[in-house]
Amino acid sequence: MAGKASSSQTSVGGLGSGAVSHVFIHYPPLRCNIPGSRGFYYDDGNKLLISPTSDQVFSWKTVPFSPNAAPNIDSITEGPICSIRFSLDEKLIAVQRSNTSIDFLHRETGEVFTHRCKSESESILGFFWTDCPSCDIVVVKISGLDLFAYDHASKSLALVETKKMNVSWYVYTHESRLVLLASGMQCKSFHGFQLSSAGIIRLPKFEMVMAKPEANSKPVLASEDVYIVTVYGRIYCLQVDRVAMVLHSYRFYRDAIIQQGSLPIYSSKVAVSVVDNVLLVHQVDAKVVILYDIFSDSRAPISAPLPVLLRGFSRSDSFTSRPSTKESESLQASDSNDNESIVYGDGWTFLAISASSSEIPSVLEFLQRRKLEANKAKQLCLAIMQTMILECRPITMVAKAMDVLVTSYAHSLKTGTYFKGIKTERTPSSVSNVSGSGQVIDVNTGRTDGLGKSLQRESAPRVNSVSASDTEDSSSLEPSKISSNDTQFDGGKVDIGAESCTTGNPLNASVSDQQESQLTSPAISPDEMYKFVFAPIEEEMIGEPSYLVAIILELFRSANLEKVKVHPNLFVLTIQLLARSEQYAELGLFVINKIIEPSKEVALQLLESGRQNFQIRKLGSDMMRQLSLHQDYVLLLVQDGYYLEALRYARKHKVTTIRPSLFLEAAFTSNDSQHLAAVLRFFSDFIPGFRSTSDFFTYYHILNEMNSSSVVA
Amino acid sequence: MLEYSFSKPNSSRSPSLVTEDLRSFISKIYTVYSTNSASFMGLSSIGTASDGMQLCIFDLRRGQHEGQELDKILYFFPADLPFSTQLSVIGLSEGLITFTRIFSPEAACEVIEAERHSHVFYEAEPDIWMVMIVEKSKDSEAIWRIDALREVLKEIHSLFVMFHGSIRALLEREPGGGLTRAHLYPFIMDYLRDFLVGKKLQLPSFRDCLMERRSVQMLTVGREAAIEVQTLVRILESSAGNLPCFSLILFQDLLVSTTLSPEDTINLYKYAVLRLTPLALSSGAKSWSYLRKGNSSSHVSIGSTLLSTGSVSEQFYGSHDASPAGDNRYHVTRPLQHDKWFKGKDGFLITDIWGGDIGSLNVTTPTVWLHQTEERMYLCAYQYKSLTIILLIPLSSILNGDQGVSILKQQLLENASLKILKVEEKLSKGWGGENAYHVSGYRYLLVDGNRDISRASPPTKVTTLSKESLLALNRLREEVDAEKSRAKWDNPGREKDLEVCIRAKNNAWAVARITGGKELYMVLEKANETLLYASDAVEKFSNRYCSGTFSLD
Repeated sequence: MAGKASSSQTSVGGLGSGAVSHVFIHYPPLRCNIPGSRGFYYDDGNKLLISPTSDQVFSWKTVPFSPNAAPNIDSITEGPICSIRFSLDEKLIAVQRSNTSIDFLHRETGEVFTHRCKSESESILGFFWTDCPSCDIVVVKISGLDLFAYDHASKSLALVETKKMNVSWYVYTHESRLVLLASGMQCKSFHGFQLSSAGIIRLPKFEMVMAKPEANSKPVLASEDVYIVTVYGRIYCLQVDRVAMVLHSYRFYRDAIIQQGSLPIYSSKVAVSVVDNVLLVHQVDAKVVILYDIFSDSRAPISAPLPVLLRGFSRSDSFTSRPSTKESESLQASDSNDNESIVYGDGWTFLAISASSSEIPSVLEFLQRRKLEANKAKQLCLAIMQTMILECRPITMVAKAMDVLVTSYAHSLKTGTYFKGIKTERTPSSVSNVSGSGQVIDVNTGRTDGLGKSLQRESAPRVNSVSASDTEDSSSLEPSKISSNDTQFDGGKVDIGAESCTTGNPLNASVSDQQESQLTSPAISPDEMYKFVFAPIEEEMIGEPSYLVAIILELFRSANLEKVKVHPNLFVLTIQLLARSEQYAELGLFVINKIIEPSKEVALQLLESGRQNFQIRKLGSDMMRQLSLHQDYVLLLVQDGYYLEALRYARKHKVTTIRPSLFLEAAFTSNDSQHLAAVLRFFSDFIPGFRSTSDFFTYYHILNEMNSSSVVA
Repeated sequence: MLEYSFSKPNSSRSPSLVTEDLRSFISKIYTVYSTNSASFMGLSSIGTASDGMQLCIFDLRRGQHEGQELDKILYFFPADLPFSTQLSVIGLSEGLITFTRIFSPEAACEVIEAERHSHVFYEAEPDIWMVMIVEKSKDSEAIWRIDALREVLKEIHSLFVMFHGSIRALLEREPGGGLTRAHLYPFIMDYLRDFLVGKKLQLPSFRDCLMERRSVQMLTVGREAAIEVQTLVRILESSAGNLPCFSLILFQDLLVSTTLSPEDTINLYKYAVLRLTPLALSSGAKSWSYLRKGNSSSHVSIGSTLLSTGSVSEQFYGSHDASPAGDNRYHVTRPLQHDKWFKGKDGFLITDIWGGDIGSLNVTTPTVWLHQTEERMYLCAYQYKSLTIILLIPLSSILNGDQGVSILKQQLLENASLKILKVEEKLSKGWGGENAYHVSGYRYLLVDGNRDISRASPPTKVTTLSKESLLALNRLREEVDAEKSRAKWDNPGREKDLEVCIRAKNNAWAVARITGGKELYMVLEKANETLLYASDAVEKFSNRYCSGTFSLD
């Protein structure tokens, strides 16, 4: 089997950086041979791949994914298995045996206890573990939710709370911590709860939209048609409307559910997944994947549809038969033989796709939102920027692009992701759970705030039950007051999650990638902007100095808006460019209005460039003085022959480091005996012992000669 | 009797030594050149007819033969003076120039101070001289600074060159001189009308000692606004495609940005302030409806008693300002004509000065001649609220003339209008109003000679000063002018630092500090008695508003 299967080669039109296929499958795949396997389950709470046999449970960690990893094996009692999930601390294994009972196995002691429904009429639809402070496990029944706390001492479940309602079926993802309960004739009425570490939020009841095929028929919504997805920390629900052939999207807020519009579908079978905050709609019949970036307002796909290529599988149902745990990762698990299973981790790379798009600023925006392969995204952004400038694209476009990058950097500074990427793995993973204590779920507070809270929470006993490995993004529900087009999403929280697991994708973390994946943000600092964009093209752009100045100016503008400092060399470069094209009037304005910020380097460059223009040199020496670079200023005065002014200045600002001979020499070359006498007198008066130095004697002698010769003449 | 003073014939010689010889020498020259028997002593009576001011331009290379003397006169104000009188004035000037060149070939006569007149000389172009004669009347207001008057001459000439090219070039184009006279006459008349107060010409006097004519006043902007302005400049220039072009941006009457050389900036800035800025336009707006009625002749005749030409010289000067559209021998544009610029619907400023019909909006685009590139440029002015933008595009780079210009204007609007809006808003927000640069307790003038920029107390504040203070400062400035020109000769290329503090009769301090090419003049009226106090006040001002430039010790 080929290691890298490119489904399509998207060419990167003139934008540098070799083309990358949009998807490739990690090789080698995970192979396992488990006799008597009863299929595969994916536990999204712990990111485990589980394969039970009649008396054993094999589990593989999928983060990091390693094809050679040996599975963990736990023994369980024999019996039917409806579903299986590990507790979040991975100490317990819960196995649903029937619609009335769940077995709990303590992995260390092997103890087993069974939880049963109180009445026969109650049927268990499923269950999941939660990091909610008040309970550990939630059991979904047709009559509602039962919230239990696990009592370590008595090794039993204690009922904490019951939420009564009719439930036809439910969907839950651990990533969103959201459970949606369907009810009604058409199963289109929904109750929702978010059970996160910040507490339980009950969402208002809402209805999903379904088109009617005919007057009297009423289609029933199936659980397969509803997906909970988390994009940029926001929670959405996507619902397939098979009649209208559209995919409706809803966004969840704390107090409202707001429909966000619909995407067309081209296949009766549709699967939805999210990779790196990009929504992938798999049109199974049409054998294509269409990619959307929900963040941007546009409902247009971010690229042309990409073909789905299923390789080596006799059965093509890997998309449609979703594992019962409703995982939303793009994981393909299929048993090809009786017992042998091959699991591929596939990594989606959107960089090439985006590079082929024509709207460059929006491409950069898209790239800047990438969390996976942040380093590649960053490299590509730099390359795009550089190419734009080299190709002399319209200034307004480059300005927009610049805005995108600078804004993104400023944002990453605020949320702290930029430095996080630089200092690797600073915080231990246990701090990952930062969801605000008691506040609302929206933990959009500052970074330091978040850390402070997390430390507090660490001391609370509840935290210990939170599994250290549970580090994925926890999603949040914002109050709907913040309208959906509000661009500030819950970055802080998402990023902190990302910190300890390095990448969000469970199946992507191959070892070689890990090093560069340390970068959690593709944000580009002004220093990098200078080093990797401007410095390399400086030579090539010599022919277009005014264009380059315009671009630099745009960078200054964006940076100034975001209160970001730019690299000081850019100021020097600007001076060089303006001086080279003899735009002295502009250069003067740049300096006077402090567009070029004063610094010693800048002052020196002004002096250098001022060799051709007296005014510019003047600006340089004025800057020296204003920066209180006294010694340099005095030297400059002496060099220019203003030695008397230099002396006065030196006296005022107590510059004592310059040798008297410099002044004396300057006075001597000006051939003015009065001045020379004045300078001699100055040093005699102010430097103790000067009269006995050789300088004194030399110039005293010279002075006498000058005087006598002038008398003779 | 006459007294002569030569600013710098030769530094070591005292002018008084040559006075006697000079007088006889001049009278000899005078009789040679004069066609008229007017006596040497008659000179002092010339001014009576013209409110105390005469202005002439003549070419030393012309009219060197007897009977051709009139040839040398290129311009004379007032024009209704008999030629004999005109020639006697010019003859004296010519004689002095010739004489003083013996001692100082590089820089001849700069000024003659006579008992009742001052003669201010300016050699505008090689051998083309401008002379202004002002009368020292009993009127106590008639006290001026010679350099300020010379600045007027410089300004007339440089503005003229900007629109019509050099005088020498015009003379070469038409050696008869008619073309030159036809251009000079209306131009200077239009220019002088700006000095009319009532029916009197009011030339710069001691009351204007806190301003510097040939300099640019700039708006102080913050970094953010400055960046916005500069990005606008880039957009403006890029909308002209790859053509090399220049721009000038003003806010109110203050310069915000320029890409021109200092010399061209001063000229265009001056023209903008005179005719293009919102303030200049609004002062003309009143007569707009008046003009539309077709009553143009009466509109031009404002102050006609003073500025109209007499019948004698009408033919000589070729063009008559009362008939701009008349059938002259020469087609002469009058860029300084009043009330001729209007703001079009698209925001561009239009005028029919260069031809065309303002009613049909089909006008010829104005052109100016740039000193820096020595090239003729189209001038496009755009105005949005307080913002005036001037764009200059080389004539040679636009092939299909006015049509090409209008396409360019269209592009400009498309590319830059949003940015212009933004910049105007930013600048308006930061604008401190008319008195933004007033510093209470101080009346000052700051001149940056390196960059030809000046800033001064607002005129309304300067008027609060007493006459004594202003006279004292005027006197001080004259001293400084003399000192500066002496230093320029003694030690060319070197800047001299200078500090003078004088106490006026009314106990005000007049202070001048010059350092590194920058000049600060100041009047402190309510100041303490001690010199230390005055010095401290200057120090404070320097540190606060001039980033310490004038803090000497």
